[in-house]
Amino acid sequence: MTKKPFSSFRQAAGIRTPISRKAVWMIGASSVLILLFLYTLLSIHQHQINATDTTIPTWKQMGEGIAKAFAAQPRTGDRWIIEDVLATLSRLGVGLGMGVGIALLLGLSMGVWRWVEAFFLPPLSLLAKIPPTAMMAVFFTLFGTELKMYSAIIAFGVIPTLAQTIYLGLKDIAPERIDKARTLGASTSEIIFCIMFPQILPKLLDVIRLQIGPAMVFLIAAEVLVGDVGFGYRIRLQSRLLNMNVVYPYLAYLALFGFAMDTFMRWIQRKLCPWYVKGGAA
Amino acid sequence: MTTPILSVQEVSYRTAAQPILHAIDFKVGRGQIVGILGASGCGKTTLLNLIAGITHPVKGQVLVQYDGEEVMVEEPGPDRGIVYQAYGLYPFLTSLENVALGLKLSQTTIPRRMIGYVTRSWPHLRRIHLRTAEELLVRFGLSDAMDKYPHELSGGMRQRVAIAQALIMRPQVLLLDEPFGALDEATREDLQRMLLVLYEENLKAVEEGRLAPHTILLVTHAIQEAIFVGDRVMGLSRQWNWKEQGFSHCPGATIVYDKAAPIFKPTDPVDFERFVAQKDEITHVVFGGDLHIDPKTHCTFWSQVHSNHGYGVTRDA
Repeated sequence: MTKKPFSSFRQAAGIRTPISRKAVWMIGASSVLILLFLYTLLSIHQHQINATDTTIPTWKQMGEGIAKAFAAQPRTGDRWIIEDVLATLSRLGVGLGMGVGIALLLGLSMGVWRWVEAFFLPPLSLLAKIPPTAMMAVFFTLFGTELKMYSAIIAFGVIPTLAQTIYLGLKDIAPERIDKARTLGASTSEIIFCIMFPQILPKLLDVIRLQIGPAMVFLIAAEVLVGDVGFGYRIRLQSRLLNMNVVYPYLAYLALFGFAMDTFMRWIQRKLCPWYVKGGAA
Repeated sequence: MTTPILSVQEVSYRTAAQPILHAIDFKVGRGQIVGILGASGCGKTTLLNLIAGITHPVKGQVLVQYDGEEVMVEEPGPDRGIVYQAYGLYPFLTSLENVALGLKLSQTTIPRRMIGYVTRSWPHLRRIHLRTAEELLVRFGLSDAMDKYPHELSGGMRQRVAIAQALIMRPQVLLLDEPFGALDEATREDLQRMLLVLYEENLKAVEEGRLAPHTILLVTHAIQEAIFVGDRVMGLSRQWNWKEQGFSHCPGATIVYDKAAPIFKPTDPVDFERFVAQKDEITHVVFGGDLHIDPKTHCTFWSQVHSNHGYGVTRDA
């Protein structure tokens, strides 16, 4: 028997051997299908034990739960899904916007001016160590339970990581590039906005993308605790009533939202930083 | 010689820990290519940074001729271009944008560009900048690299772009800090010949009674490169007769060698015979570690020039 020739030991052992794009998609899709299949089996089994069970709903019950969230409520005429999406997204948008804005200002200033770095680095390093969820009581006390509180908790959660990423990114820029910009006639503001900022932009977009997950954690946790509308509130309320046919679709919406945001941020990065996507080092 | 384009006058520099440069004093004529040699860590890059205005001398001053006047160097400016071994290109700009960057930064400001977007004056000016950059890149044989980012280029191509980026500013002096140090031998020679083309343009300009456009200071640790590319070679060393001059500690590196180098044409072969004697002399004076070398003994460039009634681009002396 002739042995198949391998170009390396790694390939012979199958370690990190490339597979086709089609195979990647098929394997990925099959993992999701297996999950759904296992859930179906579990649900059937549970309903054989208790026909009225709502903790592991059947696909039919799940459909009823989705319809319930989209239907107008008899008393108020409101639709849960619209109310919750608007509330959660506006809180996330304002909080993340504030967080990114403040972090940008802080990180840029710290990376450019040593005295700002000396002033802000110690408190920022300390605050980064406190989990924002542990600070919730402080935020409830200071800001009540309105939009201000949700925005503050998200901003507090993302600022340390974002600001430090920007600051460290700026510190990594080779001094020659800055000196060279000055020999090319750049002013201080041009060095900051035309030389330094574009160089850290792809990393900044990466970190913002990665911070959407933690921001959602802080927001949902706050909504679970004190919300009167929003995804966290609805999940808490419906899970108490054991209406898991509403809860599971809500979790799926969150996953879809996260996926959509991730794709959107990658698209932004491709548009704004083609050089980085092509393999250039920031 | 006409008024020197660059005068370094009794410049000394030291850090908190140790003295680096001592009483550096030399003049460079317009259109010269000066190879600056020295052992690693002797202060060659510091000297370039002082000329560029990135660091400031503890004593002495650097003067650059600008618009017919001698101006003291206080900070970096477009009249002194610099090219580093690590290229210093901006990764987020294509070759064309990198080369056009200096025109954008020196001729406009952020508010002017923002207003210019509305009045359409900036896009018009931008097109002119890009066209100028394109012409320079074509001249440097980089027609196919215009839209490529630095990481998509070879080391030699990157260094050509970096030199074009500096030259588009038409600097009075171009400072090259070991620009070919990271390149392979063939690419290195290719770029050395590119500098010889610039020198040939200088000679032609002098012949036609115009001002030579390119004055270059090339810091290198390769003796052969300095002799081949430069029309003059200077050597910086910490090993000189400082004890005999009354110092208890070395006060820093100083210029111990400054002589004319043979002038090569871009098409000339690298003829070792033509500079072997000078190479041996430099090896002894600059790298030999002789603590009895009097810095003045081997700094004879200007007397050589005057006794020969000019040399290379300085032949109108």
